[in-house]
Amino acid sequence: MNPSLKLALLVLIALEVSFIQVWSINVALIVVSLILMLLGRITWRRLLWLTLVPLFFSSALVWSLMLRSSASTHFLIVIFTRLFVYVYMGGWFTLTTPPLWLTHSLEQNAKLPSKFAYGFLAAFNLMPKIQAEVATVRAAALMRGEVLHVWSPRLYFKVILAAMNWSDQLAAAMTSHGFVEGAPRTHAQTVPLVARDWWLFVGSLLLVQIGLFVGLP
Amino acid sequence: MKRWHIRDIILVTIIAIFMGVIFWALGPVYTILAAALAPMGLQPLANELLLGIWVMAGPLAGFVIRIPGAATLGELLGAVVEMFLGGIWGASTLISGTLQGFGSELGFIFTGYKRYGWFTLFLSSLTTAIVTFVWDLFRNGYAAYHLPFLLLLFCVRLLSIFIFGGVLTKLINNLLVRAHVLKD
Amino acid sequence: MATVTVQSLTYTYPKQAHPVLDHLSGTFPTGKFSLLTGVSGGGKSTLLKLIAGLIPMSATPINFDGHPLSAITPTQRASTVAMLFQEPSTQFTMDTVENELRFALENQQVPAEEIADRCDAALNFIGISDLKFRKLMFLSGGEQQKVALAIIVAMDSDVILLDEPFASIDPPTRLILLEKLVALCNDRGKTIILADHDLSGYQQWVDHLAVLADGQLTLLSTAATRERFAAFTPQRLQLTHVQLPNDQLTVCLQGTQLGLAHGDRQLLTPQDLSLYAHRTTLITGPNGSGKSTLFKALVRLGRYQGQLTYRQTDITKIRKRRYARQVGLMFQAASAQFLNVTVAEELALSQKYGDHAYFTPTRIQQLLQQLDLAGRDEQVLYSLSSGQQKKIQLLCMLIMAPDVLLLDEPLKGLDYASIQAVMTILKTVQQDLNLTLILISHQLSGLDDLVDLHLTLADRHLTYQGVSA
Ligand SMILES: Nc1ncnc2c1ncn2[C@@H]1O[C@H](COP(=O)(O)OP(=O)(O)OP(=O)(O)O)[C@@H](O)[C@H]1O
Ligand SMILES: Nc1ncnc2c1ncn2[C@@H]1O[C@H](COP(=O)(O)OP(=O)(O)OP(=O)(O)O)[C@@H](O)[C@H]1O
Ligand SMILES: [Mg+2]
Ligand SMILES: [Mg+2]
Repeated sequence: MNPSLKLALLVLIALEVSFIQVWSINVALIVVSLILMLLGRITWRRLLWLTLVPLFFSSALVWSLMLRSSASTHFLIVIFTRLFVYVYMGGWFTLTTPPLWLTHSLEQNAKLPSKFAYGFLAAFNLMPKIQAEVATVRAAALMRGEVLHVWSPRLYFKVILAAMNWSDQLAAAMTSHGFVEGAPRTHAQTVPLVARDWWLFVGSLLLVQIGLFVGLP
Repeated sequence: MKRWHIRDIILVTIIAIFMGVIFWALGPVYTILAAALAPMGLQPLANELLLGIWVMAGPLAGFVIRIPGAATLGELLGAVVEMFLGGIWGASTLISGTLQGFGSELGFIFTGYKRYGWFTLFLSSLTTAIVTFVWDLFRNGYAAYHLPFLLLLFCVRLLSIFIFGGVLTKLINNLLVRAHVLKD
Repeated sequence: MATVTVQSLTYTYPKQAHPVLDHLSGTFPTGKFSLLTGVSGGGKSTLLKLIAGLIPMSATPINFDGHPLSAITPTQRASTVAMLFQEPSTQFTMDTVENELRFALENQQVPAEEIADRCDAALNFIGISDLKFRKLMFLSGGEQQKVALAIIVAMDSDVILLDEPFASIDPPTRLILLEKLVALCNDRGKTIILADHDLSGYQQWVDHLAVLADGQLTLLSTAATRERFAAFTPQRLQLTHVQLPNDQLTVCLQGTQLGLAHGDRQLLTPQDLSLYAHRTTLITGPNGSGKSTLFKALVRLGRYQGQLTYRQTDITKIRKRRYARQVGLMFQAASAQFLNVTVAEELALSQKYGDHAYFTPTRIQQLLQQLDLAGRDEQVLYSLSSGQQKKIQLLCMLIMAPDVLLLDEPLKGLDYASIQAVMTILKTVQQDLNLTLILISHQLSGLDDLVDLHLTLADRHLTYQGVSA
């Protein structure tokens, strides 16, 4: 399915699920996402992680609601299953959509200005450097006799300076590699957007609506 | 009004990722806190206590980049990164991210993107707390809680957001101003 | 093909009192290799950025074959002038080599069906076809610079600017890259302007050295050029004092079956390794062989296999805060070390926790003088040139005076005079305080007096070099 449409579908369903209290629809969505993830060959470790963590948070939330509110059992079941819908659907999306493909699609199909598409990509690809930087800043401070905590302004100060430095360098490098904001570009790879994608999109949304209608108490 | 240039877009994304990384360096603290409070039915309180750090990307991006939409984009991108890194909240992070960002953006909107001081920060904390709280009333079923507990949750949230998104952000801003990378 | 002419260029950074470039004029002819050098903070980077159009200026007195840069449409700029940056890792947008090449060609609106061929041809020219599908982030600095060069070749830019492109590149790779550049000049008529402090390897290609000093550009005569090159001849780069370790030395850091890896790539096969106290050890090895990774393991910033002990105690058993004060690291990137805003604040922080008995305010002022940094107390650290930052960074770590000081490329981007000053300071402080210094460096000029022991990392193995005492 086309990544941009897939993203829109995901957000629309998540939004709908947040407001409507039908547990059967939640369960149906969980089952569908689970099947899609299994078809996408998800690893067992990842699936376990995607199950255990929401299990803990969902249970804790429901337990808290049981103690501190007078919510009905139906409501509790809805809340309990809702988190799994989010997590499983998110899991299916990230499993089946490489970030590069998504940005290509957003640029070509959703007409996102290319400066956003490539600006995001440039920063995302710096991820390993960004992760290492936090550890480096804290270690460098220790060597100078200072401890940096999450509430130390200096930690963020250093991190933002690094961000500014890198964004300057990356922007200069993109210019040097011929990138001009708003200028037309060719595409070595085109992301297809065909009728089938639209059918899938509209069809899935319709199914959810029908499910909601039937399931409403 | 300033427009988005490629450098600003890269900068806001890197800041968002940094905030996500710092927050996840904190991951165990969150889980332990949540686990400790859960048996008493206080797990949501863990959320509220740490929410301030989580939503810091918004005001920080708004202060550093000073272009309309910076706060929203900062939070939203943080959420996208988190989703791709396999964060536990899945699809709903995209919605919460947008709302959290929009919450802090409101503070800047109300001051017309002209004032960058305490007042804006306080306003932005307040709007963030309100917007995100309304969202949680629905998403996490907070609406069902008894009123006193609900009030407690809100106060803790506001305080946390004010400390991190307000006081800490201002202190960071002061350092950046002294380093000549930001205007006062 | 383009000749670059600069006529009476004056540039002042915003909010600065003095111009960096002051009525500078010069010509960089087409098909020629121009080498630019000069003191740290002289304005080389500034000049190159101005030529590349990366610093906006209203009316630039810089012409390409008579056309001012502003008259060239933005989309054509990249095929006129392209820049290779000093910092290898932050010059790419995409994840893999192939995607980055595509990105650059798409920007130039090359038709989609031609892109693949041009990518392959460029990779072939630089000789890195095997890197095509690799992730850019996980390439070594040398490999990243090769990729950056391949992109410029693919874009077919007329003028190629290089700002200290070899600052963190090992000598053999440096020679290979240099040959490719010369081939671009000779075979394809490209104009190349390269800024560098380390002049080794250029003699045979360059007859006139351009020196940037006091905001002006001077072209040296052949004789004067040869004189400058003399300090970088291979004989001057030899280490004559190194010896193999003997029993009289005390071990300070000991690795037992120490191994290093990134993912499933083994960088160091498990081996025993001793590092000795109160001596200066130099570690050399090709780009990407794992030298920085070793340092990170030593300061507990990275994973390792086997066991590491500091004075017979396992380093994981020592409290992090205490250990960080015993074994310090001067990072490869200078800005990673700084915690404050101004030079004075940064030095004050080091004095507070460091060895203040030895590093008295007078001594520090004297050191600043020696490093040509006096009078910059109130300057913001991040507006210093790269060489100036490096010197402040070194001073900060020396004042901390940890028992073991690890230095990752301490000479990167320093001019010749600064290297001499740094060497004198390191030597004096090391003797006065009996420090243990371990340093990584690609650049060997001036190191001979300082170094006692020499470790090389090659074929995933660390071995001591030299003659037995
Ligand atoms: N953004 C800036 N704002 C103010 N001053 C600056 C800025 N960038 C550089 N300078 C100053 O301009 C001078 C020239 O800097 P530049 O980086 O061009 O030197 P350089 O010759 O490349 O030095 P190095 O060999 O150390 O890299 C330095 O004194 C530096 O402090
Ligand atoms: N976070 C990482 N993940 C995967 N690989 C990495 C990571 N960091 C470094 N590497 C790889 O490990 C190898 C060793 O890197 P290291 O920085 O230690 O090399 P080095 O010997 O210091 O090289 P240089 O002389 O260029 O500084 C390189 O090939 C590098 O690409
Ligand atoms: Mg420079
Ligand atoms: Mg290194």
